[in-house]
Amino acid sequence: MQKCTACNLPETYETIEFDENGVCNICRQKEFKDEKIDWQRRAEMLSRVIEKHRGKYEYDCILPFSGGKDSTYTLWYLVKHYKIRPLVVQFNHGFMRDTLMENNRRTFKKLGVDVISFTPNWKLVKRLMLETLVRKGDFCWHCHTGIFAYPMHIALKYQVPLIFWGEPSSEYTAYYNYEDDEIEQVDETRFNRFINLGITAEDMYSMIKDDYQCDPRELTPYTYPKLRDLKKLKYQSVCLGSYIPWDVKENTKIIQQELGWRGDQVEGMPWDEYSYEKIECSMQGMRDYIKYLKRGYSRVSQMTALDLRNGRIAKEYADKLIADYEGRKPPSLTLFLEYLGISEDQFNHIVAKTVVPPFKPDFEGMEYAPKTDDFDRWYREDEQDRGIIFKNPV
Amino acid sequence: MIGILNIGLGNVQSVYNAVYENGYDPIFVSKPEELEQLTHFIMPGVGNFSAVMHSLEQLKLVPAIQALIARGVPTLGICLGMQLLATSGEEGGLCKGFDAIAAKVKAIPNSNNLRVPHVGWNEVKFTQEHPVFADIKDTRDFYFVHSYHMECLSGDNIIATTDYGSDLVCVAGNKNVIGVQFHPEKSQKNGMQLLENFCEWDGEFHA
Ligand SMILES: [Zn+2]
Repeated sequence: MQKCTACNLPETYETIEFDENGVCNICRQKEFKDEKIDWQRRAEMLSRVIEKHRGKYEYDCILPFSGGKDSTYTLWYLVKHYKIRPLVVQFNHGFMRDTLMENNRRTFKKLGVDVISFTPNWKLVKRLMLETLVRKGDFCWHCHTGIFAYPMHIALKYQVPLIFWGEPSSEYTAYYNYEDDEIEQVDETRFNRFINLGITAEDMYSMIKDDYQCDPRELTPYTYPKLRDLKKLKYQSVCLGSYIPWDVKENTKIIQQELGWRGDQVEGMPWDEYSYEKIECSMQGMRDYIKYLKRGYSRVSQMTALDLRNGRIAKEYADKLIADYEGRKPPSLTLFLEYLGISEDQFNHIVAKTVVPPFKPDFEGMEYAPKTDDFDRWYREDEQDRGIIFKNPV
Repeated sequence: MIGILNIGLGNVQSVYNAVYENGYDPIFVSKPEELEQLTHFIMPGVGNFSAVMHSLEQLKLVPAIQALIARGVPTLGICLGMQLLATSGEEGGLCKGFDAIAAKVKAIPNSNNLRVPHVGWNEVKFTQEHPVFADIKDTRDFYFVHSYHMECLSGDNIIATTDYGSDLVCVAGNKNVIGVQFHPEKSQKNGMQLLENFCEWDGEFHA
């Protein structure tokens, strides 16, 4: 596979393109961000956005919150620097880990904020996971759509037009870029373009209704609200990272100091090196595993790519981390198979259909990665609850 | 109250839908007395300049629209609705317009071997800033369908042009009146933004 000569990302990476020197567009974008953006002007824009909304509604803004480093930093930054009064909205996808929940409790108490937490129906979640795994080789549709759509429903319910997200997507992909001075809006266009995997909630309902007992209303948390209603609210849904330079490592250091935020072990990752990323979900190891099977790289490559781009590690060290950690099975695979009621063979068969050439995975030759500290505390289902309860066994 | 002129001369539903989707509750207006309650007025249009002016006269809408414009109500003309804001038009025989913008409406010159009507997406280049175009970038594409175009007597009234063989005026404005030759309701994101900006506009504009 062709890889970026600067950051190592392979040709199977989404939206990647290489220039004549073999350097990828995401690296180029980073140069642009560092050199061409007038961050002073962006900071003034941020103040204007906040002052426009301050004090006018029950809350100054809605702050979608997972408890990961980005949403935690966003909350900390807005409360500390702007004394903003947010309504923190948490969509609990069903896989939140102990350390994360502790971090959340501490953060909310230290900052003194109001919080709404929402957990969708677990049985439906399992059915949704199976459907998108089979169709897209990505079992996280419920999470992608819920995280982005649910806070918009809350914005409407509370009539709060300003919604603050953390990191803009331009940091990782080239769907949006920093050029043209465009402020990325976290809106339905973005939702349909790369959040919902091309499946709307209406599509999803018709995909599952024949074998699974489901009321269409149960899909509401995954539905993007009507544009008309959002426009009527005069909604503004933006990322803090569009207004201030976003430096993940620096941000993490700050929330560790200020809020006692703790990282965690993630399956298949070098724990000492990257303890702060994607600690929100006990199924992250499975996500990374599927990504590896599909595209021949996992998050180790993505993380080292960010560090290479920022000149923080040597190429040889990145290569070593990738060689040591990538392509290993997460222990959570067992749990995952139990949740969905499928065998490993069935799983491999499903994923094999979504492989992105020229990569070819070796399903047989993969060793297990070590178990994380909290592995034994992850949710396990009783015999009778395992798998999906189908209307008519299929 | 945002009013959309509907005198049964073509499909104005798409304009209504676009304004509605933007979060507003527009009404259709077709009688002089209905214009009195309006805070914003949109005059969409397809058809023939002199035939439409004639219909408006029969419905006694000409003095009502003139009064509304004189009251300072923000007014948006779309396509033929823009052309009607001019002093006069040539289509269907020389005919007077509302004279809200000092301009003449003439056929697109077919000297440059381009097809008339001009149909499709084309770049809109600003010559002035205008509140109705806030947050819309220069040289973005909008959707056009027209055979006639507006020739302004003063550059002060020209807001934007589009290149179709030569630079044609595609946005013209004067005080509380603005006209766009293209169809914002068919121009997707930028068109939606334009309609939203118009609905928020207080009618202030000075060249
Ligand atoms: Zn690169």
